[in-house]
Amino acid sequence: MRVPGLRRLFRWRHLRTVLQIPLLIVSVAMILDGLLGPSLAPKNLATTLSWVHFRGALVLVLLCAGNFFCLACPFMLVRNVARRFFRPRLNWPQKLRNKWLSVGLFALILFCYEEFSLWSSPWWTAWLIVGYFLTVLVVDGVFKHASFCKFVCPIGQFNFVASTISPLEVKVRDLDVCDSCGTKDCIRGRRAPGSELVVIQRGCELALFQPLKVGNMDCTFCLDCVHACPHDNIGILSRMPASELMVDPRRSGIGRFSQRTDVAALAIVFSFGALLNAFGMVSPVYALESWLAGILHVNSKAPVLGVLFALFLVMEPAVLMGLAAWLTQILGGSQRALVPLAVRYTYGLVPLGFGMWLAHYSFHFLTGLYTVLPVTQSAASRMGWNLFGSPRWTWLGIPMRYVQPLEIGFLVLGLAGSLLVIHQLAESDCAERPLRAFAPWAAVSVVLWMAAIWMMFQPMDMRGTFLAG
Amino acid sequence: MLACVPALLASGCRKPVEPQSAIAIEYGISPQPIRVGPVAVTVKLRDAAGQLMPGARVNLEADMSHPGMAPVFGEVREVAPGQYRGSLEFAMPGDWVVLIHVTLPDGRRLERQVSVAGVTAN
Repeated sequence: MRVPGLRRLFRWRHLRTVLQIPLLIVSVAMILDGLLGPSLAPKNLATTLSWVHFRGALVLVLLCAGNFFCLACPFMLVRNVARRFFRPRLNWPQKLRNKWLSVGLFALILFCYEEFSLWSSPWWTAWLIVGYFLTVLVVDGVFKHASFCKFVCPIGQFNFVASTISPLEVKVRDLDVCDSCGTKDCIRGRRAPGSELVVIQRGCELALFQPLKVGNMDCTFCLDCVHACPHDNIGILSRMPASELMVDPRRSGIGRFSQRTDVAALAIVFSFGALLNAFGMVSPVYALESWLAGILHVNSKAPVLGVLFALFLVMEPAVLMGLAAWLTQILGGSQRALVPLAVRYTYGLVPLGFGMWLAHYSFHFLTGLYTVLPVTQSAASRMGWNLFGSPRWTWLGIPMRYVQPLEIGFLVLGLAGSLLVIHQLAESDCAERPLRAFAPWAAVSVVLWMAAIWMMFQPMDMRGTFLAG
Repeated sequence: MLACVPALLASGCRKPVEPQSAIAIEYGISPQPIRVGPVAVTVKLRDAAGQLMPGARVNLEADMSHPGMAPVFGEVREVAPGQYRGSLEFAMPGDWVVLIHVTLPDGRRLERQVSVAGVTAN
């Protein structure tokens, strides 16, 4: 990086720990308040910080910088401490060395969010956080390297996909230096002088060999490679956002995006899940759920949600993308088979999906920005600390009338990003007739964008169940 | 962190339950069904013997079930000994929780949470 001082900061080997400790303290406070504090979500640290502040800050940092939340992950701090006592012995199973498990978990988290109305339940939110800690300890206590991050963590998978849009990337400064490097410490780790078996600074635990690493997918910004490199040849460098989605080289630790159906499935859940998650908070969804319940003759939420998830995350992408892929073959003359073609162009929808997540999460973050203060005051007073008097529950955030144009702006940016990526993909895929290959996917993007805009203008209606009336 | 786990599990396995009070806070909300907009809230305070309790200060607060949304507040006045009336304005459809804050003449504070699910648009 060119910013003075930052290069030195990122090379400081304790930077990650210094960032993780406050987040661990906050996580513990959230768990305690969630389990023992008020049951009303707006008054509780667990729900307020998780569903308002963490989600919003996460997407804004991903937009403006990169995957710094993975850098500061408190789960990894606990895991690293635990590994001083318990050494993992097994390698992650070969059959699970893909994204399918994490795709399922990502969809499951979205499902549980709706089924258990996590936004309104401090108790369930606290248990979700506890469950996360326990899962990290179990997975990375048994399996070597960063198996949890690479193959399991739903938040991490969200961050990986979203950070393909980020303007910063961990990358090599000068490839010529890598060519002359004989030790490859960035992935092997730095060894003790005179002892090849003693690693004094680990290399990349996610199997990303820096000279061949392309983009931010699977990069947790842990900076192990930065600390391991003996030539100070790796840094956090700027780049054009979403540029990595336009190319299809063989990526270290990943392979080619066009050959990774599982990564494409992750991108689909990311992009279409953004619309589904927002749809769950507007009035028309309850009419739809009531209608579905009538057709299915059920009076519980789970089967109705199951149908909605199947519609939004499976059928809708299959129909829209299948149709677009077929038209690209017919009109654009692409030589790829249908499924590989759909896989290739899936990544073009990621900017639009990210725009939707941004619009949704930044809305809650900005309109509820100041609520962290009275909630923290209230939690502190329950522990006997009086912070600046009584909690001011009237402190909210930025008025909605200022936030709504920003939401529209994020959606427009997302659409523009998707159209740009799709255009580049079409040009490389169908060089003779790129516009004909571009058109079907552009149409899919515009349709999804219009659905997102429509949703933005629907009245918000946050209910735990459509069965209440 | 590991040492705290057993304590957490022991204390957090059951959902917290509102403590019982000898004073009953009765309420009524109208009109029904509850829609977006103003509603009248009536509150009666009864002691352990079932007698109405005058002279309390009662305030109303309504929060949505989702954190980060704007709460609404309502003042309440005593219209008869032990009977109080106020109003709230539900700003949007969805699930709300009405909090009835009571300060008794002796300074004791009580609170009752009332779930108002499924407020619909007009």
